Amino acid sequence: MPVEDKSKSLLPFLSSPKLLPDESEAEFQLGLQSLLSELDNPSPLAVALISQLNESLWWIKRHTKDKELLLHEAMARLLSKGGSYIERYNNREVSAALEHYLDGRADEDEAALIDVILAESKLTLSDLRVRAFKDAAKHIKLVDDLIHRQHQTMRHLQRSIDSVDYKSRLIKRMDLELAALESKQSVQGALTLDDKSS
Amino acid sequence: MTTNPLRNHANRCNALKSTGPRSVAGKRASSQNSRKHGLNSPLDFESSSEFQTLVNLIAEEGFSACVCADIAAALLNYRRVMDAYYETYISPEPVDEFMHDMDVTASTPIFKELLSSSGSKRQDVRKMATFFAHMQRQERRKGGLVSRRSADTHKLIRYQRNGIARLSRAVRHG
Repeated sequence: MPVEDKSKSLLPFLSSPKLLPDESEAEFQLGLQSLLSELDNPSPLAVALISQLNESLWWIKRHTKDKELLLHEAMARLLSKGGSYIERYNNREVSAALEHYLDGRADEDEAALIDVILAESKLTLSDLRVRAFKDAAKHIKLVDDLIHRQHQTMRHLQRSIDSVDYKSRLIKRMDLELAALESKQSVQGALTLDDKSS
Repeated sequence: MTTNPLRNHANRCNALKSTGPRSVAGKRASSQNSRKHGLNSPLDFESSSEFQTLVNLIAEEGFSACVCADIAAALLNYRRVMDAYYETYISPEPVDEFMHDMDVTASTPIFKELLSSSGSKRQDVRKMATFFAHMQRQERRKGGLVSRRSADTHKLIRYQRNGIARLSRAVRHG
């Protein structure tokens, strides 16, 4: 059975990939296929484990994105205070402007707004980032834990895949040795029969 | 906002009348009230069709029947955890936009107006403002949507750790 068919036949039992609306299924499948192509004719169990590994990689991507979002959220919160204790600017407005500003697609008004607030707060963009990191440290730590967990999961899966792969290679090798022994024995048997008849 | 002993007594009497669900279906439904992700409840994987199909697929690799069953159950258990992880991630506790964004100081006249009909004092208005400020602090401490979903999924880490350890053990010791 080809590798693609194996993964397809297994997926209904291991639940189809659950993606968020802004995520590409093609990218997810591409990652899975590239992992599968690393193994030479993987067994169904190896395919099942690799699809879990691919999912872990996907979660790492999601959590890394979340980390950046948390930082942006904290930066926007700091900016909306504009250097004072209470919020002086509309948080949502500042948040959207900051996102565009950091992506480099802010229009003139948005860029002006961010520059004005930065000047009022007496901060540079890197200062703001450092302060936001400090503010959001508690939440960022949680996301770091989630990423770490996915790394640990991947390590477990990797070891399991190695074990399955080694086992299948061992079985193949033993089959070959057994076949070689059998053929040797049959040749020897034929030779002794020849000796007896002569 | 004022405490009234008569009102308190009436509330207690009314609460005694609530005896909870009476029908079997009602009791069954209310028993699930505190259910969050269902990962603590044991599941019988072996009677599912997925389990049998997985066992048959794994058996092709030369594992014994017992090991095949262990691996299939561990794999389905891990999937259950990851499905709950995804569900938790996509449905975090919603942000209370009103509470998050409201200006408590500027809302004092509204509190005054609301409480004026019941003949409340200035002290009550202050208490109401303090209460709202406290609620707002709590709401803001939870952070935005991303912080909430990270905090919620973080609670499932131990299930994930146990699930993957069980799967890894089943495969490597098989």
